[in-house]
Amino acid sequence: MEQFITAIAAVIFVPLVLLGYIILGERVVERLPERLQIWIRPYFWALPAIGFATIFMVYPLLRTVVLSFRNNADTTWVGLNNYVYFFTFPDTLTSLRNSLLWLIFYTSISVALGLVIAILLDRVRYESLAKIAIFLPVPISAVAASIIWKFMFDYQPPGTTQTGTLNALLGLAGQQPVAWLVNSTTNNAALIFVGIWSITGFCMVIISASLKAISTEVLEAARMDGANEFRIVQLIVTPLLWPTITVVGTTMIINALKTFDIVYVLTAGAYDTDVIATQMFNQLANAHYGRAAAVGVVLFVAIVPLLVVNIRRFQQQEEQR
Amino acid sequence: MTEVLAGLSSRAIASGLGVLLLVACSTGGSTQQSASSTDVTQWVAWGGQELTAYRDVLKPFESKTGIKVHVTTNRESTTAIANGIEAGTELPDIAPGPTDPVQLKSWVGKGALKPLESFLDMKAYTDNTYPALTTPPGGASDDPYIGIIGGKHYLEMIKTQVKGLFWYNKKVFTGQAPKTFDDLLAINPSQYGAQKLFCAGFESGGDSGWPASDQLHNIIMRQSGDQVYTDWINGKKKWTSPEIKLGYQTFLKEVSAANVYGGPNTALSTNFGKAGDPLFKSPAGCLFLEQATFIANFFTQNTPGLKAGTDFDFFGHPSVNSQYDGNVNGFYDNVAMYNSTPAAKQLMQYLATKDAQQIWANDGGTLGAIKTLNYNDPIYKRAAEVAGSAKNLLVTAGDFMPSDMRKAYWQSLLNVTRTPSSLDSQLAHLDQVQTAAYSTS
Repeated sequence: MEQFITAIAAVIFVPLVLLGYIILGERVVERLPERLQIWIRPYFWALPAIGFATIFMVYPLLRTVVLSFRNNADTTWVGLNNYVYFFTFPDTLTSLRNSLLWLIFYTSISVALGLVIAILLDRVRYESLAKIAIFLPVPISAVAASIIWKFMFDYQPPGTTQTGTLNALLGLAGQQPVAWLVNSTTNNAALIFVGIWSITGFCMVIISASLKAISTEVLEAARMDGANEFRIVQLIVTPLLWPTITVVGTTMIINALKTFDIVYVLTAGAYDTDVIATQMFNQLANAHYGRAAAVGVVLFVAIVPLLVVNIRRFQQQEEQR
Repeated sequence: MTEVLAGLSSRAIASGLGVLLLVACSTGGSTQQSASSTDVTQWVAWGGQELTAYRDVLKPFESKTGIKVHVTTNRESTTAIANGIEAGTELPDIAPGPTDPVQLKSWVGKGALKPLESFLDMKAYTDNTYPALTTPPGGASDDPYIGIIGGKHYLEMIKTQVKGLFWYNKKVFTGQAPKTFDDLLAINPSQYGAQKLFCAGFESGGDSGWPASDQLHNIIMRQSGDQVYTDWINGKKKWTSPEIKLGYQTFLKEVSAANVYGGPNTALSTNFGKAGDPLFKSPAGCLFLEQATFIANFFTQNTPGLKAGTDFDFFGHPSVNSQYDGNVNGFYDNVAMYNSTPAAKQLMQYLATKDAQQIWANDGGTLGAIKTLNYNDPIYKRAAEVAGSAKNLLVTAGDFMPSDMRKAYWQSLLNVTRTPSSLDSQLAHLDQVQTAAYSTS
């Protein structure tokens, strides 16, 4: 009951207090000289948002950076120890390697597939139906998708009925079953494949929306000039889609670096499949707060340039409008 | 809306806001208070049948005392409590204690854990409970593996299980239980119409590998003795030492392609709960499955119609080195008190009674911590004898290693099962983790 009251308080009272802040504050601002009003008003209105962002984003960020130079109990400075650990210990190096594999293959394949599918579907009659089919995995949570694929990758002893779809197919082709998630040549690829399966639809939808915005006159002019469809895609469609592809690509890179759930559910990092985010979770679960913070900072530093690229793109698009 | 608000005087709005803030603060404040005197909050790691059995245990207590026990299943309770202690937020009244000795000492030091001595009749408790769960060997004042720090007990033992038992289908394996581990390995499964000697299943989500570690624990404690075993838990024995390496090599015989059903890949891909299914197939996939007492529940669940004692049975772990025959691997479930409320104390007192634990024994699926319970189930009756006859009831080593050591250890067993030739490099890696894990935790 008490929790219920607190929840109501949070949902109703907080917005009311904010509203009161604005109304009362506006009364005060109104009484100031005109010039001062113009100068002070934007800051005054933005202050609650800045306050929330500071408390919930900036402070934790700074605290994480500080913690990454501290010991676990946060009692002494340990210099770069946590970072040295991260960049020298075999397990974390494996997770770095795997994150790199994710970054390269997950990003390139999902964006390329999204692009190709968007272009191809643009030319068929059952476009929306096909799109729905490809988009279907997107709203499924990563955990649920991983559980679905756990069944798909299932392995039974050779010579018995294969309950996993993939091994059943291999069996039909007269092949021995493969322990997809155990075998080190297939496990990382299998995990990345699940990631691609669940996100390609998203890439397709964004790219497709941008594709629809390309004026048909441009394409028709090219056709009149004798360009074939490959040349049109190569010389007109792709360059015009480039800003969108960049945004989708950087978003996918961020996704790849943040990958956690698929790995956690399917292998929990066993057989050398750990990635940076599962490594961060392990360090937290093992109460190595300093190391976890260091992993977090490394991840943050890797992602910031991509965020900058993304935001610049958005700004350019805004300006073009 | 804005016009209406603008119509009100500033003073009216200000006083209104003041009242709202006061209400918000006061409701926020009241949630900080702990549960009332007739409520106990408890976190448990149990779900399913185990949780149902626990609710049965609670029923007489709740109806007699009028205390309401709010039970929440939380399998990450140690992490949550550790964070709660660090942050100073509210803890459950009762929850399992930590297994990591360093964490236990730290929590005791911070006063988060309350000693049993503050509310329990300790003489009755130690007299009733299996001695290995309450009394440190040689009268030491510290034994973090059973929750004793500075001569005080912090973990109340309520359930126990025996590990390292070899289960078999009575209709398939009709021979005598082997005396030694070599005798066991010498059994020819085809003589009994089974494909392989052993079944195994090491998959267990994020904890994959623990079933393999139990097999290794049971080898090492019987092969190199309890001293080596305890030193190994404490990080005082290198993984590359001859004793531990020999243990791994012996374990690898159990999971070799020649001995394990379906080969190593099957052992690695099979969930521990389903590992025993091939015992009951026709023809049998394997003769034996090594697992703890609790596995009987999985047998009857997965293959309906099976009866414990009639269709399947177990024999204790065969001797590896006769010098260490009295060492038995067990584990326990405990409750620890984090808030010293009268209601929580009453519940803790109740759980240590024979009346409470007998309900568990009647529901089946576990041994109580009290020696003199009656078991209807023939399997548990015998398991209680095994536990009672143990010279040393040794804890599960992996559970008491620092958590990063444990994780690396479990993963190493998966890796050597898959690639036995990687044993030396795996052990060298574990040494590296050991140095880091024991120095910083």
